[in-house]
Amino acid sequence: MSGADGNKSSHTELSSQVFLDLVDSVIADVASECHRVARLGLDRDLEVVEEELRLSVEARAKVADPSNNLETNTKFVVDIFGQTHPPVASEVFNCMNCGRQIVAGRFAPHLEKCMGKGRKARAKATRSTTAAAQNRYARHSPNPRYSPYPNSVSENQLASGSPGVADEDCTNGTVRENVKGG
Amino acid sequence: MKHSVNRPPTPDEDDAAEGFEKDELTLREIINVKLVESGEKENLMELVRDRLVECGWKDEMRIACREHVKKKGRKDVTVDELIRVITPKGRASVPDSVKAELLNRIQNFIVSAAL
Repeated sequence: MSGADGNKSSHTELSSQVFLDLVDSVIADVASECHRVARLGLDRDLEVVEEELRLSVEARAKVADPSNNLETNTKFVVDIFGQTHPPVASEVFNCMNCGRQIVAGRFAPHLEKCMGKGRKARAKATRSTTAAAQNRYARHSPNPRYSPYPNSVSENQLASGSPGVADEDCTNGTVRENVKGG
Repeated sequence: MKHSVNRPPTPDEDDAAEGFEKDELTLREIINVKLVESGEKENLMELVRDRLVECGWKDEMRIACREHVKKKGRKDVTVDELIRVITPKGRASVPDSVKAELLNRIQNFIVSAAL
C-alpha cells in the first residue's frame, strides 16, 4: 500500500463506503417493513393514518404546552366516547326515604340528615312518628329545640322496638313531615 | 462471481478509476470480514439504527414509503421499488451528527485493525 497519507485518504473513502453500506442496510430494512405493511393492509386506511398522525402531533403539542392547566383538565375529563362528566352529578331524583327531590351530588349529605345519623336528625325523625308523640311534645314544653331526648327514645321503643331503626319511623312520618313543612 | 453475503451494488454507485475500484472492493471485503468477525459490524448496525430512529429519520422514510404506496397502489409495490425510491433521499437526509459519529467509529476500527 502507499504511504501514510494514501492510507488516510483511503481510510476516509473506506469509512464512507462502510457507512453507506450500513445506511443502505437500514434503508432496506425500512423498505421491507413498509412493503410488508402495505401488502398486508396493516396500515388500515391511509387517510385514517394521516388523520391519526395529525392528531398525535396536536396531542403532543398539547402535552408539551406548559400553559395547559392540568387541574382544570382533570375536572373536565373526556372519556373515550367524548363525553364529559361534570365533577358534581347534577341529576335530580326523588329520595326513597322522604320523597323529596334531591340533587344526586347532594344525596349523601341529604341521606345523613334524612335517615338519622346523628342526634338531631334522630330526634327530628322520632318527633313525627305518632300523634301520641306529638302530643307528648306539646305537653312537655314548648321549646323548639330537640331537648327531650330520653322521651324520644322511649317513643322510639314504643313505635318500633329498636332505637336503631329510624327509617321505619321516617316512612311513617313522611306525611307528617310534609304537612309540617319540614 | 455472486457475492451472496453482500447486497448487489446500489444503482447510484459512482466509483473513481477502475483499477482503484478493484482494489477498493477487495479492501472493502477485507474490512467487511473483519467487521463481522469482531462483532463490530453488529454494534455499528445497532448504533446506526438507534440514532436514525431517535432523530426521526426512520419515520420520515416510512412516510415517504407510504406516499409511494398511496401513489402506486397497495398491491403493486415491490421491495426493490421502495428501496429505489427512498435510497437517494435516505442517504441525503442522515443528520450530520450521526454521520460524523459513525464515520469516527469506523475509522477508529480501521486504524485499530492495522490496515
